[in-house]
Amino acid sequence: MSDIIEIKNITKEFKVLNRREGLLGSFKDLFSRNYKTVRAVDNISMTVGQGEIVGYLGPNGAGKSTTIKMMTGVLEPTSGEILVGGSIPYKNRTKNAQEIGVVFGQRSQLWWALPLVESFRILRDIYQIPEQNYKDMLELYQSLVDIEPLLHKPVRQMSLGQRTLSDILAAFLHDPKIVFLDEPTIGLDVSMKAKIRTLIHALNREKKTTVILTTHDMGDVDALCRRIVIIDKGKMLYDNDIEHLKSFFGSYRTLKVRADGDLREQAEVIQGELPDMKVWADDEWISVLVDEEKAKVLDVLGKLQQSHSIRDMKLEEISTEEVIKKIYEEGVK
Amino acid sequence: MKLKKYLTLTRAGIIEALQFRLSAFIMVVGNILYLIIVYFLWKAIYASSGSDVVNGMTFHDTLIYLVLATALFNFMEMYTVWQMGRSIQSGKIVLDLIKPMNCRSYLFWSYSGNFVVNFFFTFLPTFIIVSAVTDGAVPLGINLLYFVCSVVMAIVINYSIDFFVGTICVYTESIWGINIMKQVVVRLLSGAMIPIAFFPEALRSVIYYLPFQWIYNAPLTLLLDGSPGTDKVLEVLGTQLIWCVVMTVLSKLFWRFSLRQITVNGG
Repeated sequence: MSDIIEIKNITKEFKVLNRREGLLGSFKDLFSRNYKTVRAVDNISMTVGQGEIVGYLGPNGAGKSTTIKMMTGVLEPTSGEILVGGSIPYKNRTKNAQEIGVVFGQRSQLWWALPLVESFRILRDIYQIPEQNYKDMLELYQSLVDIEPLLHKPVRQMSLGQRTLSDILAAFLHDPKIVFLDEPTIGLDVSMKAKIRTLIHALNREKKTTVILTTHDMGDVDALCRRIVIIDKGKMLYDNDIEHLKSFFGSYRTLKVRADGDLREQAEVIQGELPDMKVWADDEWISVLVDEEKAKVLDVLGKLQQSHSIRDMKLEEISTEEVIKKIYEEGVK
Repeated sequence: MKLKKYLTLTRAGIIEALQFRLSAFIMVVGNILYLIIVYFLWKAIYASSGSDVVNGMTFHDTLIYLVLATALFNFMEMYTVWQMGRSIQSGKIVLDLIKPMNCRSYLFWSYSGNFVVNFFFTFLPTFIIVSAVTDGAVPLGINLLYFVCSVVMAIVINYSIDFFVGTICVYTESIWGINIMKQVVVRLLSGAMIPIAFFPEALRSVIYYLPFQWIYNAPLTLLLDGSPGTDKVLEVLGTQLIWCVVMTVLSKLFWRFSLRQITVNGG
């Protein structure tokens, strides 16, 4: 498997104006300004092979989008080397653009007032897609999702889900080697999410397109990625298989129960009964963090039922944020 | 084919512009109102001057000049500064930057459809009406060819200035004031608002060495002069060509330099 993206020790710094507060401060800012340097991406290295789907995770402001913008050639790294398809993106922006497709979940690259098919035609012409490839691609799309009704609908009349779907199709249209998907499922309902995941998976398989997926939705990651990269505050925290991540953290799940009586008092009692588990309470639920390798969730629930009257319960999988939080707090072994 | 890459954007622009019927209609109405004001304003100016000819132009000449200048302005005005400002602020500029085309041409060609629409909906009707009403005041001959050449170069100069000013937004992240200033400077110094002949001698010679008057005054001079001498035509078109090259190079360099400073936030 040949590497399509090679990143070596890239760093990106921004100069940010440090504004003073208050009226007097604003006035002072007019005469003397004081800048501070923010390091958005700090010494990151990774390689991505052709045809891989990589989940690129991290909390808001972690530096994900900045890295993606460097890979697309929009931003120039402050230091370090970056090669996409063998060339340096910011130096060959136009050439690089031909090889990549990008979807930003919050912005659309489609022509707002025009029917989708017009956007496709424009993209066909500006990417200079041969007629035959264009037709084949539309046929492939038709076989994957029912695009016929969407094609003749102006983009501004589409629902968010339809628009996102169209944007993803538009990004794959010129058969790029790499597609960057930046939070593609943001704000979508469950069935649309599933549809989009299936579509991305199918396109990756059919066209051997490398996909870099940024998301906060662990569902996306589970459905699509075998490998994940986690960054926070610009630093790389984790780069490995998703299986490895799970085994490393054990399989934690949070059991939430609602019991009679004061929840906080109950929580303290439960903590006494389950000394090796973390128990806490809020206004609605008592939460127990269960390590499934040590105890089964059902056993814990059974134990709780013997001594407390439980009115309601639910189970929560560990979320992306919790994984990242745990990685950040405990580090990677 | 390479040209198709650009013309497809023109085509999209035309379709897009035609979607907004009301906007086209309002533009025509606004235009007429503006022309009525121009008519009465200059009528008053001529009445108070007490003579039929002011600065070598009759009321008739002035009016024809200004009506055509307005039509030309409506046809050529691109709002690039405004558009770039908004894209840079919102971060949408990223989507323009990842097109397989350089950003400067991409923005130009995306807008170009409006040229076609505005030409047929505002400039051409105005031109025909002015020609018909004034009955021969606008000469129709070889000067039309000069005019077309001149307009094409004027568009390039105008766009380069717009693009240059729009690039400033990379640094200021606010565009409103800069845009207003640019509009006033260009409209005033290009002859789109007041014929250049009305400016004092000293200012006129300064304006001669600035790019602005080559946007509106140059093509109008070539159009309204029935039989311009070859040397005058060459002088005007030649100077325009020089400004085309200078402004294109300047705006490109400035953009290339500024692109390295760009910080695109969020998303």
